[in-house]
Amino acid sequence: MAGKAKEKLFMEACKKKFKEDPTDMETKYYCYGGWKQSKSKVEFQKSADAIAKKRGVPMMNEDIGVPLGQRLMMPYQLSHTDIYVEADDLHCINNPAIQQAWDDIRRTILVGLDSPHATIEKRLGKEVTPETINTYLESVNHTMPGGAIVQEHMAECNPALVADSYVKVFSGDDELIDEIDPRFVIDINKLFPKEQAKQLKQAIGKTLTQAVRVPTMVGRLMDGATVSRHAAMQISMAFISAYKLAAGEAAIADFAYAAKHQSINMGTMMPARRARGPNEPGGIPFGFFADMVQSDRVYPDDPGRAVLETVGLGAAVFDQIYLGGYMSGGVGFTQYASATYTDNILEDYVYHAIDTIKDKYGGFCKLDPKNYDELLKLGDDINSYALEMYERYPAVMETHFGGSQRATVAAAATGVAGAMATGIADCGLNCWYLSMLQHKERTGRLGFYGFDLQDQCGSANSFAYRSDEGLPMEVRGPNYPNYAMNVGHLSGYSGIPKAAHVARGDAFTANPFIRVAFADPSLVFDFANVTKEIGRGGLREFVPAGERTAVIKG
Amino acid sequence: MVAYKRQFYPGTTSPAKNRRRYMDPKINLKKLRDVSMDDVVRLMGHRNPGEAYKSIHPPIEEGKEPDCPIRKLVTPIDGAKHGDRVRYIQFTDSVYFAPISPYQRAWMYLSRYRGLDTGTLSGRQIIEMRERDLEKLAKELIDDETFDPALTGIRGATVHGHACRLDEHGLMFDAWQRYVWDADKKEVVYVKDQVAIPLDRKIYVGKPASMSDLKKRTTIFRADGVDMRDDKEVTMYGLRIHKLRTLGGFQPFKFKGE
Repeated sequence: MAGKAKEKLFMEACKKKFKEDPTDMETKYYCYGGWKQSKSKVEFQKSADAIAKKRGVPMMNEDIGVPLGQRLMMPYQLSHTDIYVEADDLHCINNPAIQQAWDDIRRTILVGLDSPHATIEKRLGKEVTPETINTYLESVNHTMPGGAIVQEHMAECNPALVADSYVKVFSGDDELIDEIDPRFVIDINKLFPKEQAKQLKQAIGKTLTQAVRVPTMVGRLMDGATVSRHAAMQISMAFISAYKLAAGEAAIADFAYAAKHQSINMGTMMPARRARGPNEPGGIPFGFFADMVQSDRVYPDDPGRAVLETVGLGAAVFDQIYLGGYMSGGVGFTQYASATYTDNILEDYVYHAIDTIKDKYGGFCKLDPKNYDELLKLGDDINSYALEMYERYPAVMETHFGGSQRATVAAAATGVAGAMATGIADCGLNCWYLSMLQHKERTGRLGFYGFDLQDQCGSANSFAYRSDEGLPMEVRGPNYPNYAMNVGHLSGYSGIPKAAHVARGDAFTANPFIRVAFADPSLVFDFANVTKEIGRGGLREFVPAGERTAVIKG
Repeated sequence: MVAYKRQFYPGTTSPAKNRRRYMDPKINLKKLRDVSMDDVVRLMGHRNPGEAYKSIHPPIEEGKEPDCPIRKLVTPIDGAKHGDRVRYIQFTDSVYFAPISPYQRAWMYLSRYRGLDTGTLSGRQIIEMRERDLEKLAKELIDDETFDPALTGIRGATVHGHACRLDEHGLMFDAWQRYVWDADKKEVVYVKDQVAIPLDRKIYVGKPASMSDLKKRTTIFRADGVDMRDDKEVTMYGLRIHKLRTLGGFQPFKFKGE
């Protein structure tokens, strides 16, 4: 099926990348000056030469190994922005925005205040009022970054190093929130569109929750599992001070217990063979992840954008950092993972899918999920469109020159279509696997070896709810057994539950608390503008937290 | 009982028929060129022509194999008998109507040959086999219709290029330029072996096929060739597999007459 006659969204990037027409099948190679055509690689070589000279040990040498740059080293457009960067700029080691996105997730823990307030009132017989809560919040915003509050002779953290650490609160109880000092509040009414705010407040209820941000540096120096410990210790200290408690009395343990165990980590603990604690990327369920992305809060009329931003963040955190770094190690998977959030290619496929859904069914969530044959038909249509674009536009094919990239992008578009048409994430997941099987059958190729394992058996587990086989997509994640090893998939997977829930008009995907916590404008990374932030990182305009320059002379 | 007749692959279109042809061991594939065995050995680069095969174990007849009914059933291939190393050849197949593509290679190898291990990726396809058997197979695969000088690459490492546009001579991109275009002879010539070590002499692999010929020979469905959706049987076959797998993991009781 030919695409609609309107200009393809990837055209601008294709024309910027290559001088030939995007439909041309031929070009020239071996004439671009090798790696020297790349500004970043020239800079790298100059830097490496200086370092090698200074340290007396050889360093990076662009002339070792494969002759880089035998074809045009193409720039990458960050999707739905005007920003173009080089591939090197998207490497998670080089890009401080990507690092900060992950830092902001890892350093977050949500801790309820209802349980400690009950302890204070019922066990200790003290009164909790909005005034005492404000006093506590002043205290905890002193302790959380590393301020001392109980011992007289305590070393403290340099505020310039931990400027990103703070605690705010939120609740579905408007009356209570009205009485809290607004400096400490994540205001649902102000930050969310009216309908979303209503849904969130209803889901959260009257409970009062702290969004705790421990310093970025704590997460980097220790690990994600430290975050709850850091938070618990500093919260306990703040209670002691704010409510004039005895530092050693047994009730204090309740505060630490609540902070450690009645809290919401961003990621669950992983099995021993993967050896990671809570709040590490492998433990983040896709539904939680979808809730971190805020595009649908700021751009509520553009559900496609919300999906694509989720995919983009998934590429950076799950594919580049987790699978490329934590699991694989080495130089990582930048090239592969960036396919889903650059050059508006997945953009084109997703918006085509949205148009198709509206044309065929009259809007989102109007395809009956029980109408499986129609779901397959939709999946077949969207997948065929995506694969056809690669075939009709060799510039697009070359942009995604790895089959794994194309497999992920086509499957993501197909999965998103299934999810948006039905409002059911698992229907989207099933379409993902349809895409994989059809892709292999059509082209005689798919991705690397791992696709055989994950994608050939995926049809069978997409609707299975038995615990050893399946889970609803919202609570699957990189930790789901089959998903632990295949780079490229996790970004697309993240978009599928997001697609189902934005299509339904839901204010959140899996967890309303996480949804609100990441609406916080004080976060360093802007989770409503993911690709823009990554682009700013590539342009070296993004200023991350946790820098050590404050304690380095000169 | 009626004897089972292998069907190989569904479909009525040319890519489907080509898939069946390549998989059917009873069909002799067309030989399109004759690269000498010494040149095949040079291209692979595992040993020099005339050099003895390196062994990783003594000939099987000299060893003391444990008593095992499976060993009695399976006749070892020649290289295994002699204790040869396992070595490889790897082909890259362009998306632009290469005669064969990675999955069809795997299916064809496993349908036609014994004693090999094969791995399939998006652009490349490796065969690992005992060395002397590998050499025979490699020659067959370089000489026959599954190989096109312009759109099939022999590449051990730095394999990407299968999805890149073609160069001005219609050749698939290769960062190492293991093969180049000989404008005088209008043929493709290898100047480096599969891991890009320069060869001591050029190896000609012949003239590329025309695009119109390749479009008839290819196993690849493409929108600008034969679209898979135009082959109803292949389309239905894919959908059916997906549907059955889905039901199998979800509501197996819904299988009815499948």
